[in-house]
Amino acid sequence: MSASGFLLRRAIVAIPVVLGILFVTFMLVRIGDQDPVAMLAGPMADAPMLARIRAELMLDQPLLTQFWAYLGRLVQGDLGRSWQGNAAVTHEIATHLPATLELVTLAVGLGALIGVPVGLHAAERPNGWFDQLSRFGSLFGFSLPTYWLGLMAIFVFFFLLGWAPAPMGRVSMMVTPPTPITGSVLLDSLLTANWESAWSAAGQLVLPVGCFTIVATAPIIKHTRAIAIEVMGSDYIRYARACGFPRGVVRGIALRAALVPVITFVGSEFTSLLAAASLIEFVFAWGGLGHWGLNAILLGDFAAVQGYVLTLAIASVLIFALVDLTVLLLEPRAQARA
Amino acid sequence: MSGSLAAPSALDRLRGIARRSPTFALGFAVLLVFAILAVFADAIAPLPPTLSFPYETLRPPGTGRFVLGSDGNGMDVLSRVIHGARYAFGIALPAGAIMALVGIPLGLIAGWRGGWVDEVLLRVLDVLRAFPTIILALAIVAATGQGFLNVILVVGFLDSPIFARIVRAEVLALRQATFVRAAVAAGNPEWRVLLVHILPNAILGATAQLPLRMAWAVRISATLAFIGIGVQAPAPEWGAMIRQGAEYVISGEWWVALFPGLALIAMVLGLNLAGDGLSDLLDPKRRATGK
Repeated sequence: MSASGFLLRRAIVAIPVVLGILFVTFMLVRIGDQDPVAMLAGPMADAPMLARIRAELMLDQPLLTQFWAYLGRLVQGDLGRSWQGNAAVTHEIATHLPATLELVTLAVGLGALIGVPVGLHAAERPNGWFDQLSRFGSLFGFSLPTYWLGLMAIFVFFFLLGWAPAPMGRVSMMVTPPTPITGSVLLDSLLTANWESAWSAAGQLVLPVGCFTIVATAPIIKHTRAIAIEVMGSDYIRYARACGFPRGVVRGIALRAALVPVITFVGSEFTSLLAAASLIEFVFAWGGLGHWGLNAILLGDFAAVQGYVLTLAIASVLIFALVDLTVLLLEPRAQARA
Repeated sequence: MSGSLAAPSALDRLRGIARRSPTFALGFAVLLVFAILAVFADAIAPLPPTLSFPYETLRPPGTGRFVLGSDGNGMDVLSRVIHGARYAFGIALPAGAIMALVGIPLGLIAGWRGGWVDEVLLRVLDVLRAFPTIILALAIVAATGQGFLNVILVVGFLDSPIFARIVRAEVLALRQATFVRAAVAAGNPEWRVLLVHILPNAILGATAQLPLRMAWAVRISATLAFIGIGVQAPAPEWGAMIRQGAEYVISGEWWVALFPGLALIAMVLGLNLAGDGLSDLLDPKRRATGK
């Protein structure tokens, strides 16, 4: 089966999951006791005005009718308007998403660069000193609350040492921001040769990315170790050893076998960190998608919450499809099955 | 048979467990300390946790009566950290009970019967996999009200499908086992086969998972409190205390956020260590190859 056919099948399977997620959030934000109409109209509104707004937002209709209407607009690419900024949700998502992607991509990338080698090395000698150390380290990383780590990093590196810039957003207010191309301030600055803002953006990235990387690395170490131990205990590795291949060759075979599950795991890690980013963004006033979505949830901004959750769900579906496609390219067995 | 010759004392047993899995022993010790703090909080804490000294706000650690300093309301950080252990167990134990009591029967039935129960469970798991639980928990608690009881219920029910999945997988493997088929053939009623023959064999994986998921529950409830939903400020909950401390970090009053964070890490690490060690102790395969 071709890659496009494979992707098509994935998309069809993903539709009910995304619909289910949409339905759950749609109902969730509406069963709450937050009344957006009173908030929107302000304290001066009288009863007929409230009723008019209610009718405009279709809030007087049954929930299922509302959901159906929402889906109808969704297919046309209309996610409604956010009440906080009174802007189209699609526009808000487009402006906020790059900041989060920048953060998560760097953290997961660095996490994989550190975590995979550490996990592989730990698996070479199970229960050896390095294994015990990395096991404790990864359990410790599992137990760290990101937001607390961020606060402590701000205290040490900003307040105490003065090395880091103020934890306020993605680029210092003193420099001219670059013309947006990709949405990532660092990339845009480099592309437009705006060295001053590139330097500032890189400085702003260090602390949040550092904290986030610590949290991202822990599960990668743990899973890589478990995967590598399983591979090393398998029959074909024992056979390769029995054939007398040198260690390097055996390691190469094992690495290739471990690659597929490790890639799958890193992909799922990316999805969950996309959501967890909201906390670190909150602490560093990052202004990304997570920060925006968190505010939307706290304020009961229906359309924005749905847009946020929909973005996360679609991102997760896309990432899993990408991961499976990579696996398809890497593994002959999966190709044969498909 | 009094068995005085063979039966090891309780102490010997503990020593044996500690030797086989130092990880578990360490985690258990940490949890024991927190349990003592939680139970005897009133006796151990030097001051009541919500007693405010309005003229002594933000005193650094070691000044006067404040061993770990005082917070923005002039409350004693140490006493509040100690009382926070009650909230941690207050979420871990009931949420863990809900996860186990909902998830395990669900997994048993889904694995044994198959059919629509299984189908629904799998679809729910699909949705949960694509839907970050933290956002789901946030949205539900924000929408349905912010009491502590609500947080417990949401966290417990959100995580029960994970237990169901583990138990379901075990049951699927066991369904074809000879001893199960023998039990069915011998005419045991269905409930007896499930409870007496399958459950004890299917429950090991879920048991080892329980402390890990409790760790998750403690983390999530602290996170919710940090964001400002769930448990609210004057209550001595670690996440809520970190939230209070967040505004003082930039002006240099580090102790308000540092100590509740350390307590939270220690508690979650204790649960994680216990869970990790427990899976070593309970899994015969890992035990055999481990040493």
